[in-house]
Amino acid sequence: MRSYLHIKGKGLWKFCAFVTLAILLACCGEEIQSVDQPSTAVAGSTITVKVTVNIPTASNGGPDNLVLGILVPKAWNIKQNTTITYSGPSGSGIMTPIQESVLPKNGNGLTWAAYMKQTFKIAGNLIDDMEWVPFQTDKGYTHDGTTLSGVLNIQMKVGADGNNTLCKLAYVITDTGNGFTSNQFGTYYSEKIVEDCFEVTGGSGDLIDFCNPQLTIVDPPKSQDNDLVTMTFDGTVASTQLDGAPEVYLCATAYTNDGKTINVCEQTDKTKLTQTSAVSKRYQLTIWPHTFFGLTDAQTIVKMEYFLTDKTGTKKVGYGNTAAPFVYTFKCQ
Amino acid sequence: MRKIYKAHKIYILPILAAIIMLASCKTERVLPVTESVKDISGSWQVIRATRNGTDLTNIIDFSKFRVNFKDGAYTLVDRLPFLVNKDGAYTLDDPQYPFKITFIATGAQPVATAFTFPIVNGKRQLSLTFSPGCPNNSYVYVLQKTN
Repeated sequence: MRSYLHIKGKGLWKFCAFVTLAILLACCGEEIQSVDQPSTAVAGSTITVKVTVNIPTASNGGPDNLVLGILVPKAWNIKQNTTITYSGPSGSGIMTPIQESVLPKNGNGLTWAAYMKQTFKIAGNLIDDMEWVPFQTDKGYTHDGTTLSGVLNIQMKVGADGNNTLCKLAYVITDTGNGFTSNQFGTYYSEKIVEDCFEVTGGSGDLIDFCNPQLTIVDPPKSQDNDLVTMTFDGTVASTQLDGAPEVYLCATAYTNDGKTINVCEQTDKTKLTQTSAVSKRYQLTIWPHTFFGLTDAQTIVKMEYFLTDKTGTKKVGYGNTAAPFVYTFKCQ
Repeated sequence: MRKIYKAHKIYILPILAAIIMLASCKTERVLPVTESVKDISGSWQVIRATRNGTDLTNIIDFSKFRVNFKDGAYTLVDRLPFLVNKDGAYTLDDPQYPFKITFIATGAQPVATAFTFPIVNGKRQLSLTFSPGCPNNSYVYVLQKTN
């Protein structure tokens, strides 16, 4: 009996040692503990965001630099409009944008920005006009078994394009030695999406809502009249007069740079939106505005107002399911 | 006398072998291969188109749109968004190894873009990348000769 217990105890010790080692190794991945971010800001102002991070390290590794990615609307151009400092028990310093020529270790040739987008998509935003902007610390840290902790202080200008905006901001961290990898020893990255929509107010441009489903979406979100523009009417977002309508048509008015107004409001193949599948309730039409509105070479469209109608043209759906038209401004910023 | 003959026999055999081996070697002249001049003359139509990676081929009717190249000039038929909006002249950066094509629309500044000119299924294709509207919106047209 004693002998039996002795043998089992020996095995138990080995097992415990293995589990302890596994826990030690598995512990070692960067973690975002919290993000302290305002909920609203004025267009063009600079906000302060504090990202608290915890970095347990295993022994014998590095030195690696901490990498931070921030998901924001492209038009904010935060690569040029952001300063980041960090501080913690191990020291302080700055974080700078990672140049496109510096590729991540496990990114299969992608840039850091593309690697982040491939891994984390656009974090629940509904319009694909967001970008991940990567930054890295000026100093590296070694993986020596200690746990590093600290705060990343981000000062970034929001709404640089002057548009009122609703969007979900997100943050991700990893290190240059691992990238966004997981293995039996741990997960070497951490993502934090701020689920409450961040709101930019006081801008002069249109409201760009990345957060809430829209009755209509224009793709690309930023375009000129010489682009091919796809308009989508999503009948699943709300019940409208066009519920059950077999065909949906575009009724649009273009305002040109020479002060002219061009109205195209007919129910023909030219204006017909095609349902993406039999029961999808999503209708699409792609136009080249230049010919759709019959512009001369000298004319350009400044903005377009539009409704969706049924075959007869009597049932009209406008912005927010009201009688007001949807408005789309042709611009690149 | 017999010894001398034997000695000669010993030398003659390797010399003959050497002569035969040397004679068997023939210096081959490698003729320089002249790369053909890339001729894009003809009428081209779009067979594939994307906008920011989204396939537009079956969404927009490209069937009538043509780019015709002839004698250094081009014409557009049934226009769609393209590098240029008017007819004009074109040049290639290198007639044998072209990597860039420049369109000079009448009365407008030259517009250049990188292009590829692969042979796919035995047919030349012309792949052009450009932004006719906002610079952030990138279009790729793959064109193929209609004749």
